[in-house]
Amino acid sequence: MILPQFEYHKVQSVAGAIALYRKYKGKARYCAGGTDLIPLLKQRLSAPAAVIDLKGIDELKTITRRKGVLIIGANVTLFDLKNDPIVREHFPALFQSLDATSCETLQMRGTIGGNILQDTRCIQYNKSLEWRTSRGFCFKMGGKACNVVLNAQACFSNYCSDNAPALITLSAKVRLKGLKGERTVDLEKIFSGNGKAPFTVEPGEVLTAILIPLKKTEGVYEKLRVRDSMDYPLVDAAVSMAGGKARVCIGGIGPAPRLYVIKNMDENTIRDTADKAYADAKPVANTTISAAYRKKMVSTLVKRAIKRVLKEGGR
Amino acid sequence: MKTVKVTIQVNNEENVLQVKPYETLLETLRERLALTGAKESCGMGACGACTVLVNGIPLRSCLVLTAEVDGADITTIEGLMKDGKLHPLQEAFMEKGAVQCGFCTSGMIMTAKALLDRNKRPTKKEIVRTISSNICRCTGYKKIIEAVEEAGKK
Repeated sequence: MILPQFEYHKVQSVAGAIALYRKYKGKARYCAGGTDLIPLLKQRLSAPAAVIDLKGIDELKTITRRKGVLIIGANVTLFDLKNDPIVREHFPALFQSLDATSCETLQMRGTIGGNILQDTRCIQYNKSLEWRTSRGFCFKMGGKACNVVLNAQACFSNYCSDNAPALITLSAKVRLKGLKGERTVDLEKIFSGNGKAPFTVEPGEVLTAILIPLKKTEGVYEKLRVRDSMDYPLVDAAVSMAGGKARVCIGGIGPAPRLYVIKNMDENTIRDTADKAYADAKPVANTTISAAYRKKMVSTLVKRAIKRVLKEGGR
Repeated sequence: MKTVKVTIQVNNEENVLQVKPYETLLETLRERLALTGAKESCGMGACGACTVLVNGIPLRSCLVLTAEVDGADITTIEGLMKDGKLHPLQEAFMEKGAVQCGFCTSGMIMTAKALLDRNKRPTKKEIVRTISSNICRCTGYKKIIEAVEEAGKK
């Protein structure tokens, strides 16, 4: 498939990237690994005047420990992060979600920052321009209706990062640098809940690092997909536990992951959490399998994941 | 539109090219350098038929801009033969009959080469895991996995 025309710039610093973004008056896209961006461009779902390549920025490629926090540069590839001994030792939920992301070859190209900021997906959206033109544009393409749910008022596209739910259970924060300076926010706060524009990240902001409190956790990641080799999650559940408290996060349904906190782990609270996650999940017919099945699998995956954590500690 | 000047080593040969900023590495290899071993199948990064090694790392060349890999060392299937002798992987694929239509083969071999380069004697499980990056719609993978196992022993 042929790419649309755009200019290409490789930058050496975050400041350089932001300056270029300003120069193009916002009509530019940042590119890390490109495994999400390039297909979007090929399908004409995004038409920037320029692509700003962030891979030349050295400070985004490192993993460091500072004052009890693991700081992961946004351009660390999924494969390198998966093979980091600290991740394997301390964050089993994240290790498992990284391992379940796509396939090895794409893990070697895709970055953790890009994985978090990947666009939401829908069976009616991720299609060629010709296909979409004949179907009629939906909300996410700038149209006036949803092509999945009749009379819908909002976009139901799914957020399909494997790793964001796992990172949320680990209380991860993200550092963003933009036109107005730098800020650090809880990862779960960067989601708008609106599939049309799923992130509250400001235009021009660059995700520079992911910060995880460095303490040992037990954890598990469970994912429903059709092909084990490389599919996006149709539903996924991550659980991380430390000191008797657990954080559970559900992804793959709707534009934002949902977090549940369990303070006392017992039979009742596990069931209540599974029931609540089931009630909150509002899947629609926008993937390859039925919405009803995905909804049922929410409580199944929550129970299965917690059971596994309690039994094996996520090893 | 301005072109971008890139210098890439392809199969140990230096190439200085003026490429379009929106040109993929796969297009450059196939259309400028006439290296048609890497195939375009899905063009969306799902199938792996276009896999080549960039600085030793297997990448889907349909998702990589040529401008992004300026200065890189690239190996394609055409670069595996040495002194008129096939690479052990290529021989093993022939011996085991791990080819049917052949469209996925160069991608399979490049992905397997990257595995063997970092792990000389992979287990069957590791081979399956790595090869699952690539899609083959004819052979059912059994012979491909056997071929990679065989090549690992050589």
